[in-house]
Formats: sequence, structure tokens, C-alpha cells
Amino acid sequence: MSAAAVGTHAVADTDRAVLIRIRGLRKSFGTQEVLCGIDLDICAGEHVVIVGPSGSGKSTLLRSINLLEKPTAGSLRVNGVEYGPGLPGEPPQRRGSPLALRRTVGMVFQQFNLFPHLTALGNVALSLRSVRNMKASEARVKAAESLRSVGLLQRAAYYPAELSGGQQQRVAIARALALDPSVMLFDEPTSALDPELVGEVLRTMRQVAESGMTMVVVTHEMGFARDVGDLNVFMEDGAIVETGARGFFDNPTSARAKEFIRAVRR
Amino acid sequence: MKIFDYDWSLIWDYRGVLLGGLWVAVQVSVVALVISAVIGLLLAVLRLSRPPISWIATAYINVFRGVPALVSVVWVYFGLAFLLGINFSVFQAGVIALSLLYSAFLAEIFRSALGAVPPGHREAGQALGLRGSRIFFSVILPQAVKVALPNIGSMYIGMLKDTSTFTIIGLLEVVRVTQNLVSTTFQPFVFYTAAALIYVLAAFVIDMIFRFIESAYTRPPHGRLLAAVRRRQRRKISELVEEMGG
Ligand SMILES: Nc1ncnc2c1ncn2[C@@H]1O[C@H](COP(=O)(O)OP(=O)(O)OP(=O)(O)O)[C@@H](O)[C@H]1O
Ligand SMILES: [Mg+2]
Repeated sequence: MSAAAVGTHAVADTDRAVLIRIRGLRKSFGTQEVLCGIDLDICAGEHVVIVGPSGSGKSTLLRSINLLEKPTAGSLRVNGVEYGPGLPGEPPQRRGSPLALRRTVGMVFQQFNLFPHLTALGNVALSLRSVRNMKASEARVKAAESLRSVGLLQRAAYYPAELSGGQQQRVAIARALALDPSVMLFDEPTSALDPELVGEVLRTMRQVAESGMTMVVVTHEMGFARDVGDLNVFMEDGAIVETGARGFFDNPTSARAKEFIRAVRR
Repeated sequence: MKIFDYDWSLIWDYRGVLLGGLWVAVQVSVVALVISAVIGLLLAVLRLSRPPISWIATAYINVFRGVPALVSVVWVYFGLAFLLGINFSVFQAGVIALSLLYSAFLAEIFRSALGAVPPGHREAGQALGLRGSRIFFSVILPQAVKVALPNIGSMYIGMLKDTSTFTIIGLLEVVRVTQNLVSTTFQPFVFYTAAALIYVLAAFVIDMIFRFIESAYTRPPHGRLLAAVRRRQRRKISELVEEMGG
């Protein structure tokens, strides 16, 4: 990802296929504008890391990508299909529904959000059955394969309450991966974990990254960000202040980014 | 009359009649419970919807929560029957009267239970691309029912006791059969004590049943019987795991 050099805009000018194209994205809650015009291109296979102070709109941006938050204005295109309100001078040829979008975008939450009344296997199989219309037996096999990919096949019959936080988060990752999404969103996936459990989740996420999955990750884990981030985004007050390629975190240009990164590293 | 003048053995002699009364009360209240659960759930969902719709549910709940069972059944059996020109049997009238009241109570129980499910679970379902109805029935409702069960249990005890007021329309429930026995044996203290015992015992059994259902809903399941069910389930999954080569 050579295009987005330090300090440039987050709009790609490479030949790589742009999977997600965000233009002028705005989101308000009441009178408070939380996203003030976001432009961002995410290419297939790219690993985007978003950092920024609390309240800067990182979660809102991530949640806009699968329409858990409905953008107030602007364009969100995934695979060329428009899912946002759109831009004024740019009528979309194809417009998609939230349901269709979410079936190609996987999301992992800070609080895991596993369904407590289902086993690990049941958690993964539920959406395979109703989204993919798989037969029960088929869904179980596919779900088991997905659990194996995060190293939890042996815990397939366990309920969330019987799993550690790290294991729960890995099941949540398996649940999202099982649907073969074209992009995975992670919203501070390790922030709710005890420190000793962070490593296993980050390891799983690195594997996902190595498999070539497109990822957008909001995290404060600087080690992970530095190793995995192809495109690094620093947000503040609902806007992208600065983006950079690999190495960004060692060498941010803006004063605010410098300050922030110094603070989280400590 | 001293205590030994009471013929307590009459209770045993007429146990069939007394338990018959309980059986009628249980039938009426169980049928009404099922109907109330369906209507109550619907009302709870309506109540959680947008204003114009939620007002209907709110109005219903506030009206019928306040009506006594006795008034309800008289109104249904005499009033509604007259109004609609339908002759309800006493059984039907009892079921309708109870359903009208307890669907309002259940709506409130379900509403708070639905609210107790963390919003993140709905969002997780949405993020997986599940339809709204699927999220409701497969993600939210199973968790809400678990939360609601203890409240439904104690509410049902009240429901069973409310059938006693249906003696006024001649339903042969516990109080009615007690009255009948008293009028032939002249032993009110004995039979009303028996009636009280029957209610207390029924409440105790109902409580046990609901506790069992609740533990069945707990994940992982508690209790010996459920542990056995659990082991079967686990075996099925481990077979799958083995099949896949660990
Ligand atoms: N549903 C909502 N209703 C109203 N305001 C909201 C809502 N969600 C977020 N906000 C506000 O939007 C702003 C951005 O929130 P957001 O959660 O996106 O920040 P964040 O960068 O993810 O912060 P954190 O690091 O604390 O998670 C905050 O000021 C927050 O209070
Ligand atoms: Mg956040």
C-alpha cells in the first residue's frame, strides 16, 4: 500500500481493487456531529488500523461500515454498491440493503456478544443456518471448521459462560469468519480482556490477517497495529487527521498524532 | 364445637371431589396462561414499538391490569355473551376472563425481560446479517424467557388462585366444590381448611415446576437430569469433532 504515504489523504490512487469507498461520510446524533465528513478507501486484502482518542468517532465509523449506524450523509460503497445516502452529484447505479451488506461484512465487538444460550458451535451455526440456509448437519460441520481455524474445536460444546474471555472472543471471530465475509471489522476486540488473555486474541487476528482477509481494526494495541497495519488512520473529533502506511506509528507528522501515540505507548 | 367435633376424615372421603376441583382450576388457568403468553408477548412487542402503536398496548395493559378477576368473569359471562350473542360455557368464560387480565401482566413481565437482554446481542445478530424476526426468536426471546420465568411462576400462582372467583358463574373449581361439600356435610371449617391446603400445596408444586423449567433454561443446564441431557448433546458434538480429526 504505497499510495497512502505519511500525511496524505486516505483516498487510494493505486490499481488495487477498492473494496470499500467512503466519501463525505457524516453521522450526527441529534445536534452533535460525530463524523464530520470521512473519506477513506479500503482495498481488498488491506489491513486498516484506526486509532484516536476516546470519543473521536472510531466506533461510529466502524459501525457505519455495516450500517449499525445509519450515516446522515455521504457515500458508503462496498464492491461498487451504494449503501449510504450517496453524494449529491453522483447517483448510484446499484443500491444495497443493510441485510445484504451485513452478509459480506463481519464484525467483532469489544464485549464479544456471544449468544449465552447457545454453545460455541451453536453460536457459529445459527447464522450459517439462517443466512446461508444451510441444513443443520451442514452448518455444524462448517461451524466446527470455523472453530478449528481459531483453535477452539475442542471447546465446541461449551457455553460462553464456560469459556474465558479470550476464548469467547475467538469464538466471536469464528462466528463472523464462518460466513466468509469480504471484510472483517474489529472494534477494540481486546479492550475488555484481562491482560493475560490479550495475546491469544491478537494471535488469532494475526492469522486472520495472514489469510489475506481485508480488516479494519480499532485498537490501542500498538504492537499489533505496527505489525499488521498496512494503512493507519488517526482520528480526532470525528475527522481523519492523518493517515500513513506501515511505519506510521514510529513517525507521525501531526502534533496531535505524535502526542496521542506517545501517550498510548506509555 | 371443639376441635375433635370436626370430622377431618371427610377430607379423605371426598378427596376425589376436592382434587377434581383443583383439576378444573388447573385446566382453566393453564389454557389461559398459554393464551396470555402469546397475547402478552405481542403486547410487549407493541409496547416497545413506536408511539402510535405503543399507546394501544399501554392502554390495554393499564385497563386490564386493574380489573379484578371476579368483575372480568361476570363481564365476560353475562355482559360480553349478551353483547355478542354468544353463550360461553363457564370454562370458556373463565379462560377468557383470565386471559384478558393476565395478558396485561405478562406483557409487563415480557417487556422488562426483553429489556434485560443486552443490546449488544441484537447488534451482533444484525452484524451477522440475521433478519429481525430471526434475531427476535433465536437470540432475544430465549434469553428473555429465562429472565421472565420466575415472575411468570409467581404470577401463575396468582392466576390459579383467581379461578376461585369463578365460583360465581358456577365453575366447579376448588371453592365451588368446597361450598357444595359444606352444604351437604355442614363442616365448613374442615372443607375450607382442605381448600386452603390444596391451594398452598398447588402453589408449592407450581413453584417447583417453574424452578425446574428455569434450570432447564440455564446454560450450561443445572441439575442431574439436565446434566444427562447435556452429556448427550456434548457426545454428539464430540463425535463431530472426532470425525473432523480433532
Ligand atoms: N448512540 C449514540 N447516541 C448519542 N451519541 C453517541 C452515540 N454513540 C456515540 N455517541 C457519541 O459519539 C461520539 C463518538 O463516539 P464513538 O463511540 O464513535 O467514539 P470512539 O472513538 O469509539 O471512542 P472510544 O475510544 O471511547 O470507544 C461520542 O461523543 C459519543 O458520546
Ligand atoms: Mg469505541
